[in-house]
Amino acid sequence: MTQPTVAWTRVSRPTSAAVLGAQSGPGQTAPMERPKDRPNRGRTRPAWLSRSVINVVLLIAVAYALLPQVWLVMASTKDLHDLFGTNGFAPGAGFNLDENLRYLFQAQDGIYLRWLGNTVLYAGGGALAASLLCVMAGYAFDKLEVPGREALFGLVLVGVMIPSTALALPTYLLASKVGLANTFLGVFIPGLVFPFGVYLARIFSAAYVPDAVIGASRVDGAGEMRTFWSVAFPMMRPGFVTILLFQFTAIWNSFFLPLIMLSDTRLYPVNLGLYVWNTTAMSQGRPEDYLLAITGSLVAIVPLILLFLTLQRFWRAGMTAGAID
Amino acid sequence: MNWRKGAAVAVAIGTAALLAACGTNNGGAGAAAQSSPQQASGEIVFWSFLKGSDAVAAAFEKTHPGIKVKFETQAGGPDYYTKLSNAVKSGAVPDVAVAEYTRLPEIVSLGGAQDLTPAAGALVEKTFPEPIRQLVTLGGKTWGVPRDAAPMLYYYRKDFFAAHGLTPATTWDEFRALAAKVVKADRKARAAAYLSGDANLLTDLSWQAGAHWFGTDGDAWTVNVDDAASKKVVNYWQGLAKDHLVGTFPTYADEFWQGVQSNKVVGYVCASWCAGGLQATVPGQTGKWAVAELPSWDGKPASAMWGGSSFIIPKGAKNAAAAQTFINWITTDPTGIAAWYGSGTSSMYPASPELLPVAKKSFNTKFFGGQDIFEVGTRSYTAVTGGWTWGPAMSVTDKALLDRIGKIQAGSLGDALAGVDAETTKALQSRGLNVRG
Repeated sequence: MTQPTVAWTRVSRPTSAAVLGAQSGPGQTAPMERPKDRPNRGRTRPAWLSRSVINVVLLIAVAYALLPQVWLVMASTKDLHDLFGTNGFAPGAGFNLDENLRYLFQAQDGIYLRWLGNTVLYAGGGALAASLLCVMAGYAFDKLEVPGREALFGLVLVGVMIPSTALALPTYLLASKVGLANTFLGVFIPGLVFPFGVYLARIFSAAYVPDAVIGASRVDGAGEMRTFWSVAFPMMRPGFVTILLFQFTAIWNSFFLPLIMLSDTRLYPVNLGLYVWNTTAMSQGRPEDYLLAITGSLVAIVPLILLFLTLQRFWRAGMTAGAID
Repeated sequence: MNWRKGAAVAVAIGTAALLAACGTNNGGAGAAAQSSPQQASGEIVFWSFLKGSDAVAAAFEKTHPGIKVKFETQAGGPDYYTKLSNAVKSGAVPDVAVAEYTRLPEIVSLGGAQDLTPAAGALVEKTFPEPIRQLVTLGGKTWGVPRDAAPMLYYYRKDFFAAHGLTPATTWDEFRALAAKVVKADRKARAAAYLSGDANLLTDLSWQAGAHWFGTDGDAWTVNVDDAASKKVVNYWQGLAKDHLVGTFPTYADEFWQGVQSNKVVGYVCASWCAGGLQATVPGQTGKWAVAELPSWDGKPASAMWGGSSFIIPKGAKNAAAAQTFINWITTDPTGIAAWYGSGTSSMYPASPELLPVAKKSFNTKFFGGQDIFEVGTRSYTAVTGGWTWGPAMSVTDKALLDRIGKIQAGSLGDALAGVDAETTKALQSRGLNVRG
């Protein structure tokens, strides 16, 4: 991310006539390399856009994003007395993380691990299946001549516009009609529907899978399924991972649907479980549940961080690919 | 669709059985259901967010071998009621659900609860005093069986008060003076907390002051949120908060407890059940706290209730007979009530005065220096201002109040009550209820 920014500052700075005159050497060749469609060609960059100002703004944004995490780490290492007795961003008098973790994993017969497992199933399994469906659908929308294709795709786009929270209640009512309320499938199946993923997959298919290759594959005698699996799918793999990550975080963060769908504690995803602990700490005078909610939150973000670190390059590629189209 | 029909039949049979039990016992239906638990059997699903619910379910199973209780913990707060009403809509309901008095009329008016009059009406009539009965009775029918009452109390730091020669106030005028003295004695200390994120405090203090926000007039509801008593109360508290005589906190949660732990909160208004939370959260202050009755406006004892729970059978419950047996046991049976105190930390005040000894025996008052807090609770309970009814759209009323009480710096909260009144009235009308006055 940083490199393009630097290149851009080098390129655009000499565009002001004054700077252009003052500079010599390599700077002068820069304007020629500048893409023709730069919107701010020939315009002076205002002072408030200078690099140090931008850096300060970025630093503030980073601090803003990281402060809650710092608080979380600090709070997880405190006992109940320190939690209410010391500053949130300062360490407590004692180091209690190991104690808190032990308490977390033992509370209510170790239900926290089960919640984590549930979340992995809901988010991991759901995102895998959803991404596969998305890639297949996107590919079909892009490459196959299906009657009414654009109308159907329009319908998918309408789906993108509807927030999933708004659909939670109707989904629940439907699920209870077919007996899926308060079951694993009741939360799992809605996670398979991901219209934005279909939209992304179509773009990926158009960008990564040349029509000629598909044509060649057909000429060589491969059927539609074989063409998809052996030729198109490997080419779309970065797109697949991007969609997977998007949907994984969406399900991981999904709250309202599990809240109304599930009443059996053993089926809860981890965020719902943490929410229950947090409300009981607050409204029931069970302050020890604060520690559960806090330590549980810390543990719950670890898998997400790992996932992002390991799949980072796909993630980044996916983000920028979206920007090109 | 077959199972749906089956369920409907089961409910019909269950109801018929209850009605039959009622018929043969001539008025003593509730007592009959309570004393002959072998009549009901099967599995019931039990929703609750109350502390000790799991222990109560387990204790019930031990004494009632024919009935299996499947307990499902719920998150408390407004989300719970949303979930419950959705469950009723979908038909996937629990057999027993907790319902705070505050929200009971709303559940009933949305058609979410079964009429318990035939099975438990006599029991409720016999067991509970009038102010509590009133909270579970609507249109002459009994919709829930009360568990606990929640008389309001004033919690204060005995050591701080003694060190500075202070005593709890008996009138709200005195309380303002007391609050000023506390600030004078210790610049950081406050004698009470104003909650900007919890509507209960102001609502209940309005109740104490004699307000009647809701009532019924024939077949219509009356709404009167912005009456003189309520205006007086909210303006008084806004004044205290503005003059920094009381601390301001969103709720009685982390930030508040930090204040308690660092000796900045030396007094606060809460209900009987808060005692358990207090001693669990700041065990380091054992022996330093005491409770007193609330100050009143005219010096005569007056109180109100903050919270308090009852149990209902949601509409569509599949095993209503067993559910009724369960509800009666956990609310009126001494063994059942004792189970709530199992963990030794609950300080709830039982709604049935006969069960008070059970509560006293179970709660260790060491934290309060051995003070008989239930005795103070009883004085507060008997002083609860009568005639209070919760509205049939408290979710809206609560939200409307919450939207306004945070803005203590701008304008008069007393005037803001008119807005709460209007929003509530509109909500009632849009739900097809008649509103008069």
